[in-house]
Amino acid sequence: MEIKKPAVAGTLESSDCMVTVEPGEGRVDLELNSVVIRQFGPQIRKVIFETLKRLEVTDARVTVVDKGALDCTIKARVECAVYRSGDVKENLPWGGVIV
Amino acid sequence: MEYAIRTVRPEDRELNAMVDGLLRREGIRRDANLDYTCALLDEEGRIAATGSCFQNTLRCFAVDRDHQGEGLMNQLAAHLIRVQADRGNLHLFVYTKCETARFFRDLGFHPVAEAPGDVSFLENRRTGFSRYLRTLEVESGPQKGGVAGAVVMNANPFTLGHRYLAELAAAQCGVLHLFVVSEDASVVPFAVRRRLVREGTAHLDNVVLHETGPYLISSAIFPSYFLRDEDAVIRAHAALDLEVFGKIASSLGIARRYVGEERSSHVTALYNETLGRRLPELGVECRVVPRLEADGKPVSAGAVRQAIHDGRLEDIRPLVPETTWRYFHSPEAGPVLDAIRREETVIHY
Repeated sequence: MEIKKPAVAGTLESSDCMVTVEPGEGRVDLELNSVVIRQFGPQIRKVIFETLKRLEVTDARVTVVDKGALDCTIKARVECAVYRSGDVKENLPWGGVIV
Repeated sequence: MEYAIRTVRPEDRELNAMVDGLLRREGIRRDANLDYTCALLDEEGRIAATGSCFQNTLRCFAVDRDHQGEGLMNQLAAHLIRVQADRGNLHLFVYTKCETARFFRDLGFHPVAEAPGDVSFLENRRTGFSRYLRTLEVESGPQKGGVAGAVVMNANPFTLGHRYLAELAAAQCGVLHLFVVSEDASVVPFAVRRRLVREGTAHLDNVVLHETGPYLISSAIFPSYFLRDEDAVIRAHAALDLEVFGKIASSLGIARRYVGEERSSHVTALYNETLGRRLPELGVECRVVPRLEADGKPVSAGAVRQAIHDGRLEDIRPLVPETTWRYFHSPEAGPVLDAIRREETVIHY
């Protein structure tokens, strides 16, 4: 998917994360801020990159402020931000790239 | 406890009174520059927290002391970040007391600079400021011989006084870094100010033009809500401004800064006082240049705006270079001339 315009998903409450996506500079740039970066930084990055790859996002600047979200929450917030950016509100590919 | 978030509109008297009451109880003044305010209300409709935006900044945060430690700051910040995203602002800035900076660090903000005891300045992009410094280096090209000097100007608009300062500094330096304040808080829009500076200094081949971006802002829009009075605001602004400038100076090897002498503006006089004290500590020499005079009066952008304001456009002839003169006589200057004529106070105090 192409990141056409900036979009935000999620909150800054405990166990959630806030994901911002915006048009990139020809690649995926990720800035991760997390309260648990030392324990789970690599795992959180992995979830974010896997989700972006599944959605075929190759050009984006992604900022994540994580407040201890579970993997499924991180994945859902990334998906939501990407689809909002593409203005996709109907016929979301549940069971397809959103698994 | 569940909280409801409400947008505080200027006409909503009751809600505004609640916001003011909360700010007063928490020892915070309502900033003069706000363009969006929200409030968190508890189930009984009482105010628990408030926060605001102005341009690309978040400001005027307060959480009722009975509700502190409930994570309300995070709710406020998340809401304001979404409001900013809807406006297209993703790169955000916060100015706050040093002791509250840690709350913002938990929200994905990173320190740009700090004036100890006064103010902490943060942005929500880890590499924002280092990218800005990189841009300045690229603009400057390879290092040249001689002293690197700097001038920061608003140039609202560019006068013979600015040109005199730039010429004098350029003659004494190997390279002169000239920073034009980028924010659009002045009557003359940034694009015009920058162009008039470029045209007015085109004859000086060792001048490198830069923009201050969001990092050096004028005192006009510097947040004041957490500072006790006007002079404290001016001093804190100056102190922070110099910390940021110090980082720019060390990145570009700037060893000397030139400022125009100031006698009529209280703000600039206080600013220059802080500058004269702090710059040498940062390893930068400070040179104060006396004002250029015309007909026994100092040439200033304020005097130019005053003449335009009073409908004496022809009187600016001895105060401005040819390029600025031509601009004000071109059709595109129409809206700017109107804006200056409409201004209530032309000379900043």
